[in-house]
Formats: sequence, C-alpha cells, structure tokens
Amino acid sequence: MSSVSLAPRRIRPAGYAVVRVGRAAFLLHRRSTLVAVGLALLLAATCLAYLCVGESFVQPVEALKVVFGQPSADELVVGTLREPRMVVGLLVGAAFGVAGGLIQTVARNPLASPDIIGISHGASALTVGAMTFGVTSYAVLPYLSVVGGIAAAALVYVFAWRGGLHATRFVLIGIGFAIALRSVTTLFMTKGDYLVAQQAQIWMTGSLNGRGWAEADPLALTLLVLLPFMCWAARAQRSVTLDDDTATALGVRLGHVRLGLVLLGVVLASVATSAAGPVDFVALLAPQIARRMTRTAQIPLLCSALTGALIVVLADLFARRLFSPTELPVGVLTAAVGAPYLIWLIVRSRSVRNGGTS
Amino acid sequence: MRVPVRRAVVMTAAVVALLLAVLLSLAVGARAIAPSAVLDALLHGGHSDSAEVVREMRVPRTVIGLMVGAALALAGTVLQGITRNPIADPGILGISQGASVGVVTAIAFAGVHTLTGYVWYAFVGAALASVAVYAIAASGRGGATPVKLALGGAAINALLVSVTTAILTTKASALDEFRFWQVGSIAGRDSEVVGQIWPFLLVGVVLVLAVARGLDALALGEDVAKGLGQNVAAVRIVGGLGATVLTGAGVAAAGPIAFIGLAVPHIARAVVGSDHRWVLPMAALLGPVMLLVSDAVGRIVFPPSEVPAGVMTALIGVPFLVALVRRKVVAA
Repeated sequence: MSSVSLAPRRIRPAGYAVVRVGRAAFLLHRRSTLVAVGLALLLAATCLAYLCVGESFVQPVEALKVVFGQPSADELVVGTLREPRMVVGLLVGAAFGVAGGLIQTVARNPLASPDIIGISHGASALTVGAMTFGVTSYAVLPYLSVVGGIAAAALVYVFAWRGGLHATRFVLIGIGFAIALRSVTTLFMTKGDYLVAQQAQIWMTGSLNGRGWAEADPLALTLLVLLPFMCWAARAQRSVTLDDDTATALGVRLGHVRLGLVLLGVVLASVATSAAGPVDFVALLAPQIARRMTRTAQIPLLCSALTGALIVVLADLFARRLFSPTELPVGVLTAAVGAPYLIWLIVRSRSVRNGGTS
Repeated sequence: MRVPVRRAVVMTAAVVALLLAVLLSLAVGARAIAPSAVLDALLHGGHSDSAEVVREMRVPRTVIGLMVGAALALAGTVLQGITRNPIADPGILGISQGASVGVVTAIAFAGVHTLTGYVWYAFVGAALASVAVYAIAASGRGGATPVKLALGGAAINALLVSVTTAILTTKASALDEFRFWQVGSIAGRDSEVVGQIWPFLLVGVVLVLAVARGLDALALGEDVAKGLGQNVAAVRIVGGLGATVLTGAGVAAAGPIAFIGLAVPHIARAVVGSDHRWVLPMAALLGPVMLLVSDAVGRIVFPPSEVPAGVMTALIGVPFLVALVRRKVVAA
C-alpha cells in the first residue's frame, strides 16, 4: 500500500484520506475511522453506565473520580467491585472480537469462529479438567487454556485437511469436535465434588462474576505482548483476502501468513476463554457487526475489538441487573443474542454449501 | 450369497452380538463376575453377593441400556430417512437438548421429580427443538443441506444450553439433581424406570415401523416418492413424531446420549442394504450393542469411578462423524 501514498494526490483509493505527520504519510479509511471513534465513545458511555448502575446507584461524577484516582466515598463499590470486573469484560470482549475476525478472515467464512469449531471447547475442557484435579491457580490455568485451544484447533485442522481445506468440511468436523470436547468437559465435572462442579458450571458459560485484577492483570499483559502481532495481522490480513493466485503473484507467502493469523486468533481466543470462560458467540458476532458498519471488504480488527468489548460489557450489565439479585453468567446473554444471529445467517445464506471455499 | 440368506446370517450375527453385549454388561464392573456365575444367578437365583449385584444393579441397568440404545438408534435411522441427510442425529440436531430443557424446566419450576412426570416435558421440548431446527435448515436457498442442519442444530443447542444454564444458576437446588442426569448415563436408574418408559417406546416403535415403506420411497427422492403414491407429508409427520417420542423417552430415561443415532444407522445400512424394513430392526439390535459396550468400557477404564455412557458414545461417535465427512458421504 505504500506505493499508493507516493502517487499524485488525486489518485488515491475512494473513501481513504491521507494523513501526513511530518514526513510520514498513511492512509485512513474514512468510514472505518468514524465508526471506530463512534464505537469508542459508545463504549466509554457504556462503561460509565456499568460503573454507576448496580445494587446501589453511584453518581457518574463520583464514579469518574474513582477511575481517575481522586478520593471518593464510593471507592469500595466502584473501585473494588465494579471496575476490575469491567476491565476483564473489556479485555475479554476485545480479544474475542479480534480472534473471531482473524479466524473468519482466514477461513473466509463467518461460521468458522472459535466458539463454533471447538477452540473455546478445547480450552475449557483442559481448564475444567485441571480444576477438578485441584489446579485452581490463575498463574497456570491460562497456559493450560491456550494449550487446549491450540490442540483443539490443530486436531480440527488435521482432520479437515484432505488435499485442501474445504470450508464445509472444516465447519462440520469442528462441530463434531466441539460436541466431543463438551462431553469430555461434562465428564470432568461429574468427577469433581459439588463445589467444583458449580464453579466449573458457572465458568463454562462464561461469567465475569467475581473476576478481578487477578484475571485482568495477566490478560492485559498478554494482550500487550500480542499487540505488535495484532498490528502485523491488521496489515497481513489484507493480502489473505485477495484470491490465492493474486496474493502469491504479489509475493505473499500465503501458507505462513495464514498460519500466523490463525495461531494468533487461537491464542487470543484461548487466553480470553481462560479469563472468563467461553463467552459464546462474541467471536462470531463482533467481526460481522463491525464489518457491516464499516462496509469494508476485510474485517476491520480495531472496530471488531471495540464491538466485542461493547457486547461483553453491555451483556454483563444486563446479566447483573436482569434477574437481580441473582446474577446470570454473561455467556447466557451473549448466547441468547448470538444464537438467533447464527440462525439468521443460516436462513439468509444463499448457499452455505458453496460459500467460502479456500 | 443370495440376499435373503445373507440377511438371515447378518441378523443372526447381530442377535449374537447383542447377547454377548448383554452378558458383558452383566459381568463387567467394579466387581467382575464370571459369565457362568452370571447365568447361574439369573437362572437359579441364589443369595450370594454376586447374584445380588447382578439382579439388583446390573439387570435394571442393562435393560435400560437395551431400551435406550434401541430407541436412539431407531430415532436416528428415521431422522436420517425423513431429512434424507446422513448426519441427522438427535444429539447433533439439538433434539436431545430440547428434551433436556424440558426436564430441567420440570425439575426447577413444576416441581416434578418422577420420570413419568417429566417425560411429557421431555416430549414437548424434543418436539419443539426438532421442528425449529428443521424449519431453520429448510428455509433459505438450497434447502436442508447437512451443513445447514448441523449449524441449525449447533445454534439451537447453544440457545438451549444457555436457557438450561440460566435456570440452573438461578435455581442452585436443581443443579445437584440435574448434573448427573445431564451427562447421559444408564447407571443408578432403578427398575421402575423400565416399567415407566416401555409404553412410550412401544408407541414410538409402532409409529416408526409404520413408515418403513414410506422411508424407502423417500430415499429415491421426494418427487419419485410422490409418483409412487406415497403421501410424503404423512410419512414425514408420522416418522418425525415417532422419532420425537423415542428420543424424548430415551432422554428422559438416560439423559442426552449422543451419536448412537448417528453411527448405528450407517452400520445397519452397510450390512443389510437400504430396505428400511430390514434397516430398522437391525438398528434396533445394534443400538443397544453400542450403548452397552460403551457403558461396560466406561465402567472399567478408570476404576473405581465410572465414565458415563454418554461420554463414551460421544468419544466413539465423533471419529465416526469425522470419517463420514471425510469420505464425502456428506455432500461437502
């Protein structure tokens, strides 16, 4: 894309604006930028509402004081109870959004999201297994989650490969593995005692209840480490959306790029799963909603991260208040919204059979 | 070999396999009992520990395994027939999960704790889920392809699981009763269950056998079936009703046990051909074999604890699904 910015000013892709900072210049997709700013504002407003609404209502001014470290009477409610939980929600949502975007891009199919093809199930199977065998430390569980997610993805990939990767075969085999892994998870739950079973049951639907800085810190750190890779992915993603011949002719090493993108997606999904459990359908929904808003050919990663965060925080807000004082796991709400969307995708699809081969 | 002779041989072999599976299910477990002792306990009674174990614990378990295995295999065969779809299975299509939600609702809200009580809720749940999945898959262009059915099933499954979880997290008392049932197990069910579900199974079997000819015609394609004078809608409705009753009763007795309805019909068709008047009885013989063997294996892999049969069937069944998809039996 750098060659484009050297071209005369008038010849530039429609819908892009050139931003010049000193000698550097880069292209911004106008609509995507607007959508991203809009989403960020909406997200900020939702976060404020999240901090204020609850068992006791907190004045927005007081909530803001706590966030910016000023002394306030509502330090306990906002700073200790609601803020860490919200941060976990934000990070988990963003991670799922990006993960879904990457995997959907590579598979060229909106259905190939980590929560349908068994990646989250692999992560949860290994994590619940570890929980029943007495591993409860959050220093270990996230790694096990990542291992489980990668193992599940690798298995699905290996079994779906048959002289090429057919999207339909991939999705069907993924669904099969998801069922098998779910039954393995249930198996582990039967083994544990009642308390572990209840904890695992709540964890498995994806819950932010009781999550705090203990989960938020490692998650934030991991995402920070992965940030450069995500920047790479945002660029590399464009070449993958071209057809194979064009991309190869342009000198893209397609195999490597695809593998890198999928690996990053799987790691992100598994890390997010380890923090909050498989929050269903966020990875399916967020990229598709974001793409419909920006109207771009490829999935906009930043926007889908923001959308994912918005979905999770908003869903958790409702999950906390809908049946108060009982709290629902946030995954229940995202599934209740996401499953109808999946149904709509199936009903609307012109032909899933031939769609998105790669 | 001529076809009738071949069929007779295969049927005999299936009956022998079933008898062996029954013997295995009676003999294997935390306390291994020699087959001769099992027969002795069954035929001559006696009050030794082994005889008590066989009669009080293993016989009811085995009988339930027989019934549930046959019910799920028949349901799967009919579903594959009426949807003309090789991966139709009560588990994959979300029908078992529908029955589950019915049972959870019964336990949590209606205060029903007996099997005869919640079997009706299971029927309603199963029926609603099957209609919903088929409606989703059949709408849109291309009709009900395997992928759309599987995805529709996955979506309905997710939705129903989230409903179940919402109920279980808000009603903690229901969780303890439900979590053992949910996994799909034929352990710890008493002999009353047998007496309670057989009428439902009988109704289901009659409905299913009634449409055997119709399923044969339907296998040739909808238009040909109509041309042959079959009432396609009636076949689908009666068959679907039969499958729903069988799944509902099976799930109410043993919890959702996946993949028996997927794997067994394919094996049955492979050995007796595509005539449903032979495929259905064959499936009814092989279904219990798979369930009883899964259950027996589950009892001995991690002693002293037991792996529930539903987990074992899923672990055996998934490779089967993978093989089917890879062999392009499923139009991909």
